[in-house]
Amino acid sequence: MERYDLIVIGAGPAGLSAAIEAAETGMKVVVFDENKRPGGQLFKQIHKFFGSKEHKAKVRGFRIGQELLQDAEKAGVEVHLSAVVIGIFPHLGITVSKDDHIEHFKANSIIIATGASENALPFSGWTLPGVMGAGAAQTMMNLYREQPGKKILMVGSGNVGLVVTYQLLEAGCEVVGLVDVLPRIGGYGVHAAKIARTGVKFYLSHTIVKAEGDKEVTGAIIAEVDKNFKVVKGTEKHLDVDTICLAVGLTPMSNLARMAQCQMVNKGGAVPSCDEYGATSIAGIYVAGDVGGIEEASSAMIKGRIAALGAAKYCGYITEKEAAEKFVVYHTDLNKLRQGMFAPGNKEKMTCTKTREGYPLSMNLLTKGFLTEKELAVFPDCLQEVRGIHPVVECTQNIPCNPCQDICPMHCICVGEDITNLPVINHTQKCSGCGRCVANCPGQAIFLVEQGEKEDHVTIPYEFLPLPVPGEKGCGCDRSGAVVCETVIKAVKDLPANDHTVLVTLAVPPGMGNTVRFYKKEGGVI
Amino acid sequence: MKVTYLNRDIALGPYVPQEDDDVIICRCEEITKGEIRRAIHEGMYTMTEIKRFLRTGMGLCQGQTCTRLIKNILQNEMKRAVQPNEEPTPRAPARPLAMENYGKELVK
Repeated sequence: MERYDLIVIGAGPAGLSAAIEAAETGMKVVVFDENKRPGGQLFKQIHKFFGSKEHKAKVRGFRIGQELLQDAEKAGVEVHLSAVVIGIFPHLGITVSKDDHIEHFKANSIIIATGASENALPFSGWTLPGVMGAGAAQTMMNLYREQPGKKILMVGSGNVGLVVTYQLLEAGCEVVGLVDVLPRIGGYGVHAAKIARTGVKFYLSHTIVKAEGDKEVTGAIIAEVDKNFKVVKGTEKHLDVDTICLAVGLTPMSNLARMAQCQMVNKGGAVPSCDEYGATSIAGIYVAGDVGGIEEASSAMIKGRIAALGAAKYCGYITEKEAAEKFVVYHTDLNKLRQGMFAPGNKEKMTCTKTREGYPLSMNLLTKGFLTEKELAVFPDCLQEVRGIHPVVECTQNIPCNPCQDICPMHCICVGEDITNLPVINHTQKCSGCGRCVANCPGQAIFLVEQGEKEDHVTIPYEFLPLPVPGEKGCGCDRSGAVVCETVIKAVKDLPANDHTVLVTLAVPPGMGNTVRFYKKEGGVI
Repeated sequence: MKVTYLNRDIALGPYVPQEDDDVIICRCEEITKGEIRRAIHEGMYTMTEIKRFLRTGMGLCQGQTCTRLIKNILQNEMKRAVQPNEEPTPRAPARPLAMENYGKELVK
């Protein structure tokens, strides 16, 4: 039986980060993952991440995964793939099913980083082929390059639902609508705005009643719900779809922790109770990432590193003092991500009406996915008459993110120490029109606007194929996706540094510079 | 250790059919919401009892999909919070595997 200092179960963002951190202290580390590829969910995440530099903000998820793998290799971590941990036993032993046999391993410490699984939503017909988790749809698109369907209904408006909807659009699918039982969009406003301006309709306070079809999904019936989430009779509505994606939350996969006899608590599902290092009630067993409570990948990576500190301390590879010093640094990073309107456990998320700066939150953004110009005008630096080219930052909710501040070479945009602050434009600095802020905003909420006598110019971030070409005529769309004017493509800039977020400059009629936010080809198709 | 006994003297009232009783909850074993609700009214007051009575969560996915759903149904019917340690006991093997491989133990 082979023996290690640390066994990590799960090679996702938390597990890999834990393995790297532990190996750097000199521990002999092995990682097991049941999947064929490492990286957990990271390799499906083709969008740019939020946060700040320390959290690898503005880098696409799968690239963060690649970096983690390289770091793990450099640190000398042993990674076993298609290796299923089938049991965890007293005295820190595990059994792994690998290739055609089973094998036993022992360690002085174990970090459980098994992540979470998607929640199901039972309704009539939910077991038909064509109903799938949003994560499954993401796997089909981003790993296997297959469209999950042609016409899709997304259920759930949290960040997963919003991000996957956008990726479905990028993959060339039509998203017929987005349904959520709650009266407010659950995810970031900027994610909602990205899909609203392509014309996707939000059905808030709605639920899915039925998936139609005998052999596979041929349609969906949705209906309004009342305050108690009961279907309002007579509001049923048929939608023509062939695929229904469910993004209705995640449940921690904490079975192994329970099998190890860890004490469990309720936190969006059964999770092991643990201290600030992730130490469970069983000595030597730690948890990291979603298995200890659902957050997101950036948090999981930090939680992985913290759990590794705990394990290294437990095994005597670092002193109590060394662990505490590093812990403070990581914990500060983690706390930065846990701030703002959408922070985990923020009970005011569904009721708050103002930003921390005191501006009224856009109710249209929270219910329809886009801001009206009237609502936007309340925020400073938006929709003002400014001479020359200037950035318009349509970032109106307190979320932890600040790449715009770091990327601007002219220091025009300021977020400040607290990364959940809304960005502020520094008018004393002149914008050079480079467009780096536009391409690097993970929420795609920054636009360059230049108002002129004969025409206005708007530069938008664009991630759809085929790319438009300069001189091409098409439709200018407003924030709701409605076609509002004709437009000519002035410039298309695809810079390697912007990692496939293309800067498209549109010429629009004078006065439309603050209205047009998206480009559709002639006929109003993306 | 403090020992507590489950109170079995519970009046749940009569079983009243619901519109969505025919919706499948446990996909692997094809068990409907109605069957689970009826089982509760017949005296299966815990997740484990429901499991042993109906085989919910004993199929290929080992309850990964339906555990949460059954917990919700039980909480609604019983009007009580189901604690994490009431969920069916996880046992090795945590994932399905071929018996052939299970019997092939590599000893180093």
